[in-house]
Amino acid sequence: MLRLAEIQSHFRKAVVDGDTRGVATVLIGGYDPEKRLTVHQRNYQTGLVDSLLVKFPATAWLIGTPFVTEAAKHFAREHPPQAPCIAEYGAAFPDFLAGCPETQRLPYLRKFAQLEWYVGQVSIAVDDAPVSGKEFSIIDAGALPETVLMLQSGLHYIEASWPVDELMKLYLTEKVPDYFELSPADVWIEVRGARGEFQLNRLDAANFTFRKSVLGGRSIGDAAESALDINPGFDPGQALAALIAEGLITVIGRNSTGETS
Amino acid sequence: MRTHCGRQQDSQIEAFTGYRVAISMTSNPNTPGIGLRLAHLAEMVATRPAAGWLEVHPENFLANPHAAELLTEVSLHYPISLHTVGISVGSANGIDRLHLKRVRGLAARLKPIFVSGHLAWSTYGNEYLNDLFPLPYNEESLQLVSTHISYVQDTLGKPYLIENPSSYVGFRSSTMKETDFLSEIVRRTGCQLLCDVSNVVVSAHNMVYDAYQYIDNFPADAIREIHLGGYTPEKDEATPGAELLIDTHAAAIADPSWDLYAYALRRFGPKPTLIEWDNEIPPLAKLLGEAAHAGEIAQMIDTKAEANHAAAR
Repeated sequence: MLRLAEIQSHFRKAVVDGDTRGVATVLIGGYDPEKRLTVHQRNYQTGLVDSLLVKFPATAWLIGTPFVTEAAKHFAREHPPQAPCIAEYGAAFPDFLAGCPETQRLPYLRKFAQLEWYVGQVSIAVDDAPVSGKEFSIIDAGALPETVLMLQSGLHYIEASWPVDELMKLYLTEKVPDYFELSPADVWIEVRGARGEFQLNRLDAANFTFRKSVLGGRSIGDAAESALDINPGFDPGQALAALIAEGLITVIGRNSTGETS
Repeated sequence: MRTHCGRQQDSQIEAFTGYRVAISMTSNPNTPGIGLRLAHLAEMVATRPAAGWLEVHPENFLANPHAAELLTEVSLHYPISLHTVGISVGSANGIDRLHLKRVRGLAARLKPIFVSGHLAWSTYGNEYLNDLFPLPYNEESLQLVSTHISYVQDTLGKPYLIENPSSYVGFRSSTMKETDFLSEIVRRTGCQLLCDVSNVVVSAHNMVYDAYQYIDNFPADAIREIHLGGYTPEKDEATPGAELLIDTHAAAIADPSWDLYAYALRRFGPKPTLIEWDNEIPPLAKLLGEAAHAGEIAQMIDTKAEANHAAAR
């Protein structure tokens, strides 16, 4: 008699991989219980495929729902969810899609699908109360470079070699021209959203680097240095003022020596 | 034919653009409630229709701060129950403790009237398999499930309600009936039970047993909640010419479920009852109508019981 762990291992193979050999002989239900496993196989696959189609409608618009559906089936088989919250499932789907042989002629697909993933993520975020300029004014100027900031959770930064944001706006506005030529161009995009709404903002490379670095937990000084490496004319003061004015800063953190800023 | 998982998680919040209506509140767990899905969340916030209570899958809210914010607002006006699909008390390689902690965090904020889950397993190692799978009913499973339920209850600091499953297959290695298994985990853990009457109809049909006898054998003293949900018949590939009932939660409650519900109420007495509808979700009014019908049945049985009691005196 199989132990429970063995039964579940075989059952998992039957549901995810379609390999029913290990579990067929231990089941009861109807004359041929193995065939009833299709109910669980379908529940597993349909639930995950549907969740991916809901998260990637623009990608399906771009490359076709039938292709995305088939890719989603393969993805579900090869990458089962790692947590019970299906809202978190699909972050790796853009890479998976871009790795399919059929999509190699679409070099912008990975970034486009990643952009769509981030749009979905920021749309379910909730803004925290932003830090005001007054709160900043009490920080000692000498401590500012070492200060780290926490930004709103509904923020993501994505750079691409193709203007994937233009393509996304075409989808969102439902204004598809008869002919649209997408040419390679470096773009730096801020995806900002909360409570069901979002916007896509183009940034210059230096500002993008500054904001992405701050979001990644680097100090203001480190982030500014990275931005200055890209553009010696970058103005850190102005960039910081913009973060405050846009209500993006939620917490003023500690500096690298552990002192409260 | 394409069908969906019975407890499939929601996809997205739908914007509600209707008008706010003034309806007197009758929120009370003794009035039947409804499963609140993301599709109806904005409408519930905007209109606050009369409903006894609401039940949600925490998994729809733990990774969706916007939905969680709306749910917190809803919880100010309705009793809330948490019905988990990811706490896999039947998993041989352990339950997801991180997920359980997240559920505990949500419960601390919402102060739910019940926290419930399933007599099933849904995780394998680090994988969440997005469905509820059956267990063999024997001593090995009993020990495992009891240990996990005790851990869940210790973590939550309150009783956990276990729901009887909808079954399509069973196991040759089972040595006891499902109702005996449930009775024994109640005895070992002190947990409580959620009797899904529609699951009884589905399982009894699929596994060929008497649904009414199942209700007779169900450990009545431990029941704190009843579920009703729609099912979908389809061809049974395992048995030529037969029909399989699939617990889709994608249809209105069928007559056999209403009939068994009435029988269950006569046997168990009045219990908080909830309507589940997870796929092909209808307008909120339709769902509330199903809950109202459950209330009518409960009222009718309650009235009859009183009349019988009076006659006996």
